[in-house]
Order: sequence, then structure tokens, then C-alpha cells
Amino acid sequence: MRRTLTAAAVPAGLLAVGLLATGCQQSGKADPKGANRVSVTLTDDGCRPSPAKVGAGPVTFTITNKDSAKVREAELLRNGVIVGEKENLTPGLSGTFSLNLKAGKYQMYCPNAKTEKTDFTVTGTAADSTQDPAVRKALSAATTGYHDYVVSEVDLLLPATKKFTDAVRAGDVAKAKTLYAAARYHYETIEPVAESFGDLDPDVDARANDVTDPKSWTGFHRIEKALWQDRSLAGMATVANKLDADLLRLKALVAKQKYQPAQLANGATELLNEVASSKITGEEDRYSHTDLTDFEANVTGGRKAFDLLKPALDKTDPALASKVDEAYDGVFAALKPHAGTYSGTTFVDYSTVGEAQRRTLTQKVDALAEPLSQVAAKVTG
Amino acid sequence: MVDRVRTSRRGLLGLGTAAVAGTAAATLSACDSKGSPRSAPAATVAFHGSRQAGIVTAQQDRLAFAAYDLTVSGSPAENRDALRELLKTWTAAARAMTEGKPVPGDNDIGAAPPADTGEAFGTPPANLTITIGFGPSLFDKRFGLADKRPAALADLPHFARDNLDATRSGGDIAIQACSDDPMVAFHAIRNLARLGRGTVVMRWSQLGFGRAASTSDKQETPRNLFGFKDGTRNIHGDPKQLDNWVWVGKETDQKWMRNGSYLVARRIQMRIEAWDRDFLTDQQNVFGRHKYTGAPLSGGNEFDAPNFHARAADGSAAIPPTSHMALAAHENNGGVRILRRAYNYTDGVIASSGELDAGLFFLCYQRDPRTQFVALQHKLSRSDALNEYIQHVGSGLYACPPGVTSDSGYWGEDLLA
Repeated sequence: MRRTLTAAAVPAGLLAVGLLATGCQQSGKADPKGANRVSVTLTDDGCRPSPAKVGAGPVTFTITNKDSAKVREAELLRNGVIVGEKENLTPGLSGTFSLNLKAGKYQMYCPNAKTEKTDFTVTGTAADSTQDPAVRKALSAATTGYHDYVVSEVDLLLPATKKFTDAVRAGDVAKAKTLYAAARYHYETIEPVAESFGDLDPDVDARANDVTDPKSWTGFHRIEKALWQDRSLAGMATVANKLDADLLRLKALVAKQKYQPAQLANGATELLNEVASSKITGEEDRYSHTDLTDFEANVTGGRKAFDLLKPALDKTDPALASKVDEAYDGVFAALKPHAGTYSGTTFVDYSTVGEAQRRTLTQKVDALAEPLSQVAAKVTG
Repeated sequence: MVDRVRTSRRGLLGLGTAAVAGTAAATLSACDSKGSPRSAPAATVAFHGSRQAGIVTAQQDRLAFAAYDLTVSGSPAENRDALRELLKTWTAAARAMTEGKPVPGDNDIGAAPPADTGEAFGTPPANLTITIGFGPSLFDKRFGLADKRPAALADLPHFARDNLDATRSGGDIAIQACSDDPMVAFHAIRNLARLGRGTVVMRWSQLGFGRAASTSDKQETPRNLFGFKDGTRNIHGDPKQLDNWVWVGKETDQKWMRNGSYLVARRIQMRIEAWDRDFLTDQQNVFGRHKYTGAPLSGGNEFDAPNFHARAADGSAAIPPTSHMALAAHENNGGVRILRRAYNYTDGVIASSGELDAGLFFLCYQRDPRTQFVALQHKLSRSDALNEYIQHVGSGLYACPPGVTSDSGYWGEDLLA
């Protein structure tokens, strides 16, 4: 487990610009392109949004506290859940937040006011007017294609893991060691998706330092430690059983999962951040040193998402598309010198990779991640 | 009693809130209706000019220095194109940042990372200057620029006692960002690294937390970490001296370097703990000056000329011939001078010894390093009494091209023409 990344945090929709609200907007545009603007004035009486009704799509709320000492925040609620908020507005201050809102009934909520909740309505469907129909079609194919890819990866993950867990249950340390990295591979390709399902990823993929209670530690890395450090599989059958069960849970979840184009792009960037933060550092597979397989899986999964977006990106920003393509080639080329045959993988033992080589790998990953981080905005209309 | 404490704390809290609100309100009111930061009065240094800013500019308080390597792998022509693109992008960004504007690009598309990293938003540039230099390695086969390498950009020789760390030395391109605000200076080298991602990587960098030289007679002479005034006899803006010793003129074998200058950077680690144990008289003999007033040991005031023939009561030289000042003085070096622009640094604790990792990040500009820095340093590295307390651990040499004179111009334009 690394960063908890909920599916909801990825879409372009939920991007609060709270940080900018404390300083100056730099280029004079207060909100995403074509966003509706809604102003809310905090008073002792309440927080009436104006207008009270907008069309679906991007909306930027500007909250101003003129002179109320007791009402200092406003939250937008949907079915009682906070979807956006601005806090700590003392008299004289204002701030903004931006959301991509779907049609429906919302409420503007300002605690401590005389009238705490005021209705706010979003009508219609999100306007897609700016998007070329051909791009829209390509993006729709991309998200469907990504759904199918994730499903197929999980279909490979389950039997590969079963072979591994069978060896664990049989107490066969040597055999389990050669199956460990191959089993994980298909998890690492779809890591950002797996991480979006609450506690599933911690159960499957937490490292020793990620858990507060060592006794509750489960998943791949728990068994990795048993194999390489403890050299004993005592008590691991239970962990193996739970791992199989957790992955069955994952299979059911990904079957129903739907994606937005920006999620594909951000997920690909996220995969590279994973590579830089835990694979290149050697933290991921600290006992087995099979990090390079995880590295390759992360990059492969990200490239799959990017390849699916490419037909659309070729229309919206072909220069960016080819830049990212080249940079992906650069990362795979940087992995090549580390080919080998270690513990059932096609790479060398990562502990033999020196500091200078690790630095080069990081630099190649950064060179890819920077242009890749520009992709989401080019595929969100 | 308890009540009083409680009351006063509440009072403090109240004050705190008011102060915070006041600050925030000030920030907001500093924005015009379009929301862009209104530049604070003055405190900017012009980016455009026939010579680069940041060399003779009155030295700012803070430094962020970075050396970058290009990672290109194409043909020389392709690599030159990549270098040109990079320099155009960097010039545009540097121009904007020195004017107190964010890095060009969009900062408010919800689905994209902002073009500017943001840590300097709402902060005036505080005399930010961004100065570029090209290292000898830029003139290797990769770019086909070998015949553009100036003779004066000859690799620095090994000096006695050098203990250079390759990971803190060299680099294809150097950027010196100076500002009176450390955040603004750091913001510059960070954003240039980001803009160059895929073309360059940062090889090493150095922050300087306080200036240790003055480049103007309007500035007070600051002190280095040994506690001595540094830069008393520096070139302080005299145009004749600058033309003689700092700016490249017609003599150059490379026309693109005219009105440029050569930068030598040396990371000089100080043995702080040992120095702090040295007795005052010896400290003064090491420098050749009085510690507190900065006056030469031959007498007078800080800015009085030292008398290297003066004798102390016991008949010995008042200014010891192995003192740092005696060895470095232009009187004793055929008139040779350099423009110093050093900064004090500290990078925490040396892991292996537990001693302070601190010293002087020495920067100097000159017309020809071969006859200036190299000649002086050969002499100093052999005999300087200061050598007992210092060690040169990093080194860089860079050819700084002339300035950019128009909005369409870019750094190194003549080099790549």
C-alpha cells in the first residue's frame, strides 16, 4: 500500500482550488475554462448561493465573509455528504473552490448561521460542447478499453497468485520464491485501480511500515518477509488464504468499475510516482529485491492507459502525444541494461543496482512523468 | 492568578487571529481585479541588457545555485535544437520570474498541474537575478560546438589540496539565482529544472544563506563564517575596473562571448570547529586583518590600503606574507583582480564526523580565468595560512554569455547561431 487514492479523487471533477484562494489567481482566470460562477455571501443569517441554479459541469464557488463573526465556512452537500468546502473565512476574507457537478439537488451549508442549509440545484447534463465528437468517441473507446484491460489483468492475477499461494500452503519456500514476483506483476499493472477500493490494497500490498499493528499485517509482502527473511512459512497458510480471498473481492469490484478519461491519465502518472517513490528506492520488495519486475509492471500498466488515450490525444495535442511516447520508450530503454534471470523474473537482483544507475532510472521516470501529467487536461474537454 | 493567565492567553489568541486576518486581507487587497499580483514598488533588476544581470548587480542576500546536465541522445544537430528550445523556454521563464510574474503558462486549469509551482506567488522578486553560464562539457561532441569553445574556458587545473567531489562539480549549464528572498531564489532553479525535464537533469545545487561579499560601495561589507569581513577590497562597481577584469572584450577568440564573463564556483568547506579553537591573534594573522573592524593589520580603517612593508614591534611583517589578504592582494599579483560574489552556506552535519558541514560557496567573475582565478588560486593553494582551516570540495567553471536585449532574444543565441 502506498498513497490512498480513492477513485473519487481522481476525476477532473473534484479539484478544489483552495490553495489559490489564499493568494492571487495568477493568470486572471478565476476558474476552469467555461465554468459557471456562483457567489455565496456568509452572513449571520445564512449563505444563499447566487444563482441558486446552474447547469451541470464545472462550477466555481466564491465564498465571501463580509462581516459575520460566527459563520466562517460554507460546504456544498449532496445527500448529506460534503463535496466541496471553504473554511476559516474570517470577516473580510473570501475564497473559492471548483467542482465538476452532476445534475441533482445540493445544499449549501454554513454551520452556526440562522438558516444553516439553503438548496442549490444543478440542472441538465454536463455540456460537452467543446469536445469534438471524434475525440469523444475515441475517449469512450479508451475508457471501455481500460475497463477490459483491468479485468483481463485481474484474470491473470488470480491464477498466478493461486500457484504462489499453493506453494506457500505446501510449505515449499524455494518454489514460492520463484513464483512471488510473477504473481504480483498483474497487481502492479493496475495498482491505482486496486488502491481505489478502500482497505483492499492495504490488505494485499502493505509493507511492514505501513501497518500500525504488525500482527494484522497481511498480503504479498507479509509472505515475502517469511520467504526471504524468516525463511519459514509457519503461520502463512492463513495469510495465503486471505490473499486469495481478497483478490476474488478485487475481481468482483473491477467488473463493475467505470472510468473517466482523466482517471486513465492520472492513473498512469500515479504509477510513475509509485515507481519513483517506492520501486527505485528499493522499499517495495525489500526482502526479495524483485523491485524491477514491479517497476516494469507499473510502467507497462501506465503505458496501456496512455496508449488507449493516444487516439484522442493525437487529435487534441499531437506534440504532447509523441513526447510522452518517446519518453515511455526512454524508460523501457533504461530498464534494458538490468535484464537478467533472478527469482523467476527477467531482471537482476535489485540490490546489485548501484546508486548512479538508480539515479538514471529516476531521471528517466521524471522525464516521462512531467509531460504525462499534462495529458489529463487534454482529454477532459 | 489562574484567571489572569487564562485571560492573557485568550487575549493573545485574539490578537493572533486578528494578525492572521490582517495578513490575509493584505494579500487579497494586493491583487487587482484580474487577480494578478500587483508588483511591489521597485525591488526588481532589469532582465534585459547587453550584459547579464547578477554579476555586477549589488549583491543580493540569498543564493540558489544549480548545475544541470543535458540528457540528449540525438545527432549533434538534433541536440543543438533541443538545447536551443531549452534556452528559449528558460529565457522566457527567467524574464517573467525576474519581473515578479509566474512562469508562463496556465495556472488554473483544474485538470492540469499549474505551470508555476506556486511557492513564490504573492512574493515580490526582491531583486531576483538569474544568470546563466555554460560549462566546458557543453563543448564536447554532443552538440558539435567544439569549435565554439573559448580558449579562456580551459579546464581548471588541479590545485594543491583540492579534494573535489565529482557530484558537486562541473555541469553543462549553471544557473545562479540571487534574490533578497530565499524562496524566490529557490523557486527559480526549481522551475527551470521542471521546465527542462526530459532535456536536463539537475546535477547538483547549492543554497547560500547570506552574502559574503559586496559588489557595491553602497553595501556594508558582510562577514564570512570565520567571522571576518569579506569583500572589503572587491571591485565595487568602478566601470574601468569592470572592463579591465570582469567583462570579456574584443580580445576573445569567440565573438559570442563579448560582453560576457567567466564564472568560477568553488565549494569551500570550513573546518569550523578547529577554527573556533584558534586564538584571536592567529585568526587575525591568518586573514591579515583585524577581526572586528576589518582594518588591515598594518593599521588604519577597513578601507585603508594595506601596507605590506609595515613592521610589527618585534620586527616581523605586520601583515604576515602567508596571510590570505597578502597572497590575494592585487598589489602582490601584478594588479590582478576578480569580482567576488560569494555566499555562506551550511548543509547540516557531516555524517561521518558529526561536525558542521558549512563554509563559503565562492563565486567569482572575470575576463579570463587562466590569468585571474587560476593564477591566484595556484598561489593561495600552496601558501595560504587559511588552508589549515579550509578545503575546496566542489568546483565549476562556466562561460556566461552576454545579456538578452529583447523580448525575442534568448540566452546563448549567438553561440547557437
